[in-house]
Amino acid sequence: MIMTLANPASRKKLTCGLALLLAVMPPLFAARQDQRQEGKAQPERAPAPPRAATVERFNHGSIRHVDTHVVQRPVVPPHAIDVRREVDVDIHRPRFWNDFAYGRRMRSLPTGWISLVVGGAPFFYCNGIYYQQQAGQYEEVYPPIGAAVSVLPDGAIAVEAGNETYYYAGGAFYMQQGGVFVIAPTPIGVVVPELPPGAVEVSVNGAVAYQFNGVYYQPIFVDGVTQYQTFLP
Amino acid sequence: MNDINGFVRPLKRHGLVLLLLTAGALLNLAAAPAPGQEVKPSVIDPHADALMKRMGDYLAQARFFSVKAEVWQDVQLTSGLRAQAGRIIDLQVRRPNRYHAEVHSTRRSRGLFYDGKTITLVNRIKNFYGSVAAPPSLDKALDAASEEFGITLPLEDLVVSDPYHSAMQKVVSGTDLGPVTVLGTPCEHLAFSLGLVDWQVWIEDGPTPVPRKIVITYQDEEGSPEFTAILSDWDFLTTLPDFVFNFEPPRGATKIEVAELKARREAHKKGGK
Repeated sequence: MIMTLANPASRKKLTCGLALLLAVMPPLFAARQDQRQEGKAQPERAPAPPRAATVERFNHGSIRHVDTHVVQRPVVPPHAIDVRREVDVDIHRPRFWNDFAYGRRMRSLPTGWISLVVGGAPFFYCNGIYYQQQAGQYEEVYPPIGAAVSVLPDGAIAVEAGNETYYYAGGAFYMQQGGVFVIAPTPIGVVVPELPPGAVEVSVNGAVAYQFNGVYYQPIFVDGVTQYQTFLP
Repeated sequence: MNDINGFVRPLKRHGLVLLLLTAGALLNLAAAPAPGQEVKPSVIDPHADALMKRMGDYLAQARFFSVKAEVWQDVQLTSGLRAQAGRIIDLQVRRPNRYHAEVHSTRRSRGLFYDGKTITLVNRIKNFYGSVAAPPSLDKALDAASEEFGITLPLEDLVVSDPYHSAMQKVVSGTDLGPVTVLGTPCEHLAFSLGLVDWQVWIEDGPTPVPRKIVITYQDEEGSPEFTAILSDWDFLTTLPDFVFNFEPPRGATKIEVAELKARREAHKKGGK
């Protein structure tokens, strides 16, 4: 062999042969790979894209419409906020403000209360429920517009109207303003997944509605389940 | 320098080598996909595919059927805990255009009716109902419900006229994970991927190849939540007359609006009032 390579003509042939081999090997290898895949299927996952957004679906349980009703949010919300996209689940969500009862009086405030002044009037606040002093007791009152708290009530539900995000808790709609959350006037036309605690059923033009602190809510099927939309009678 | 080391001689002696290497590289480029061209080799196990086809054909050929499903679904709580919420679905289908489902859980109870003309939703706790016009076939009604009203009719993947094609059309990979028992019933366990959403199905062995369990895993959602349906009480014998699918408002029921997706999106852009 060494004697053969010493011959320039043989060396040239060998060079050409090697080069040709290098040229044809990769496609041949790729073809063999394809054949292997055809012979034995292996589950394969596309590489997951970087998490730039959080994907949410309004309904789980369908393969046919897996991509029909999908929302992407830019950031993952903190856990204390309830972003309820999935509508068809039934789970008890214990929240302090669910226990609100307008006009109920108590001798002492619950643990964790703070004092607030809203529009010059003194209030006490604890995790989504507001109180005012009446005859030496503390009476539960409707959430006052303009009240500002540094932390949202536990389990506040994120609802969107236009370009605004509201945080709905205990019948109040909070908006973030800098480092605090301020109770805004109730947006009309916004849909919430549940009624405020203690909302009263009323009839408006012969139709069923609910009233809470002067705001009216009408039931409406949204994404196949009953939700409530604020409206002006 | 001897001939064995001849490969390190001046380039002009090996111009041909470079030329051929370049040609080889070009050949490889020609074999490679063009930029932006996605190559998705089919990696669906033919056996898994065949079992899905058998199940799909069996359901497609059934003129009517009833089935019960116990559904468990992951929910992310605001505390950070992940929990499961359950519900029971009683489903009745009569092809080509009848559907009725009752969905029950501890605090909720709702019905969904499709009679070939109308889809009706019923909140049995509050005694509300709402109806929308629907296309005359099940497939189109399911699509309209989802795309126009955001309503997923429960277990719709079993209801479509061609369950095999409907489920498999976007599958990128799939495999047969072998025999498994679901609540005492011998089944074949199949797993498929749509890319970022995976689903599994357990198909009963023997002459009745019905699904006994379905799991959908949403890899693209935070925490990769899962939807699980355990299916039982398959009934292909009991006939389903019209009254099963025709909605009659219960006494004192209140009719309410069914929100359209389009209207909601527009209202959302405007920001309410």
